[in-house]
Amino acid sequence: MNLTTNSRTPSETTCILEIEGEVDVYTSPQLKQDLVQIAERGVKKVIINLSKVEYLDSTGLGVLIGGLKRLREADGNLALVGPGMRIQRIFEITGLNKIFDIYETESEAAAKEGVIL
Amino acid sequence: MTDFQHPRSETGSVPRTEIVQLVIPCRAEYVGVARLAVLGIASRMPFSYDEVEDFRLAVGEACTHAVERAGDGTATIRIVGTIDPHALTIEVKDDVAEADMAAPTEEAKLLEEAGVDQQGLGALLMEILVDEVKIETSPAGTRVLLTKYAPEHE
Repeated sequence: MNLTTNSRTPSETTCILEIEGEVDVYTSPQLKQDLVQIAERGVKKVIINLSKVEYLDSTGLGVLIGGLKRLREADGNLALVGPGMRIQRIFEITGLNKIFDIYETESEAAAKEGVIL
Repeated sequence: MTDFQHPRSETGSVPRTEIVQLVIPCRAEYVGVARLAVLGIASRMPFSYDEVEDFRLAVGEACTHAVERAGDGTATIRIVGTIDPHALTIEVKDDVAEADMAAPTEEAKLLEEAGVDQQGLGALLMEILVDEVKIETSPAGTRVLLTKYAPEHE
């Protein structure tokens, strides 16, 4: 059970965060810390690539909602990319697919969010 | 501490009621152990891949609920799987006493401010992912019973 995060910053106000592994009560504090550090650098648009996430529970959802709130309060956004069928289903059954902007690819997210990758 | 009793069906079917028990420390790093065990237990039932994964997530949520209430003490979670031809029931019982409950985390407070109840999200997931959810709370701890019926018995 582990979580790996990789981030890249194509511009000062944009960050792409790729998450791999399981996001649960044990690993979600790491994701939270990453998001807080990214927001503190002045990043406004965060695109999180979920394509390699195998498991996501309510604590992971909570961290993503917290990040979304922080960024939207600063006139930014947190968008999600490429969730697999299981992860997509979790967003759908909780209704959170209506709260988050969820895209199939990073390039689609970049185009809709108005950022350059 | 772990305490396993594997069902002994040579055919892979479930001929009678079998019990599997696991006891884990009530800490975040052990919730994955519970999920792995549930994967094995639920695989004994004629469930689809998605149904097994649903059960795994529901049990993970029940364990997470216990872990988030526990402080740094020595609380444990007992997971008891009852496998029979008609249904799989998994009991998740913690001994997190009311007096030992941890204070809400900063993240929980932030979510509350945002109008999101994370424990509510966990409860919602459990309700949707399995057929029956029963939660009993007492001063000595919480007991969550999750049941999913075999497809032909729904």
